[in-house]
Amino acid sequence: MFRRLSIAAFSVFFSAGLAQAHTPLCSCFDNGDQTITCEGGFSDGSSASGVALRVQGADGQVLTKGNMNEDSEYTFSKPEGEYTVIFDAGEGHQITVPGAEIVE
Amino acid sequence: MNKLLAAAFTGAMVLGSAVAASAHFQMIYTPEMALDKGGKIPLKLVFTHPFEAGHTMDMGTPEQFFVVRSRGENAPKKTDLLKTLKPITWTSLTNSGKAWETTYQARGGDHAFCLIPEPYWEEGDGFYIKQNTKVIVNVGGEPGAWHEPVGLPTEIVPLAKPYDRWTGNVFQGQVLVNGKPVPGAEVEIEYLNHKPLLDKNGFAKEAAAEAPQDSFVLQTIFADENGVFTFGIPKAGWWGFAALDLDPEYTYKGKKCSRDAVVWLQAKDM
Repeated sequence: MFRRLSIAAFSVFFSAGLAQAHTPLCSCFDNGDQTITCEGGFSDGSSASGVALRVQGADGQVLTKGNMNEDSEYTFSKPEGEYTVIFDAGEGHQITVPGAEIVE
Repeated sequence: MNKLLAAAFTGAMVLGSAVAASAHFQMIYTPEMALDKGGKIPLKLVFTHPFEAGHTMDMGTPEQFFVVRSRGENAPKKTDLLKTLKPITWTSLTNSGKAWETTYQARGGDHAFCLIPEPYWEEGDGFYIKQNTKVIVNVGGEPGAWHEPVGLPTEIVPLAKPYDRWTGNVFQGQVLVNGKPVPGAEVEIEYLNHKPLLDKNGFAKEAAAEAPQDSFVLQTIFADENGVFTFGIPKAGWWGFAALDLDPEYTYKGKKCSRDAVVWLQAKDM
């Protein structure tokens, strides 16, 4: 009986762990030609194809937006001045990348 | 005792116990296997005895040096890096040897750096050594195809990420020759005991660990019937795994050539 309970408890713990393990990831790189490429994904290796991404200016206005392509990438023209990239895979799955941190 | 062991033993008798205890390891070194962010990373290709930072062998021009980048579910992409290599001289604690270096612009995901070296003539043993070597660097924590064979003639396929091991974790790898498991493969293990100094192209004099006896310098384990070996990681840092003589009939220029497979991991303390 104790063993069965342990297994049940383990199953619950394990499935909770799985959900936790699925964290969003987004890295952006300056291509050196006035464009920026952002690469999205998840820590379990699953695809971010179709995930929304937007670029905001200093005062929060949306400069550009779109969705990750089939390679989980999104490329946009480098904005003038301050900007922030928001990778938005739903509630609790957002990543914010400040433009100042984006380098080659 | 196979022929290689016998040959190594004979060599040991001649050269003395200090040399017998350490083995050849092909390195592809960069300071960090698990990077937070991408950028330009240095790579040093050195054929040496890592525990003792001992005799460093002259490398010839590699037959192949390339990287396979994989990120998430994207198809892996292979990029040839052979022409980017520049010759350097690497200084060990006892000599210096010909080695190679390059830099690589890394973005997200897994980057499996693969080297097929020119076979090295080991005069003392009377055979060639060819260590096909793989090192996997990850950027940003998004995994790729680290657990899949790259397709090297001899290859160790990791069954755990070589870049995410805590000290005390186990590491498992499967030894393959021409894509097929090698039951009972002999695997030698050494710790990179002297920090590589990238600006000096040499090893630091200070050792991180002291071996209580020669057996601890070079550890030997054997793979199971599926070619899978298991190793518990006792200390943070770089650990090299060399599966030896995987194709006993293999020759180069009419001489015996030990066809080996090497993989490295980098463990971190919690």
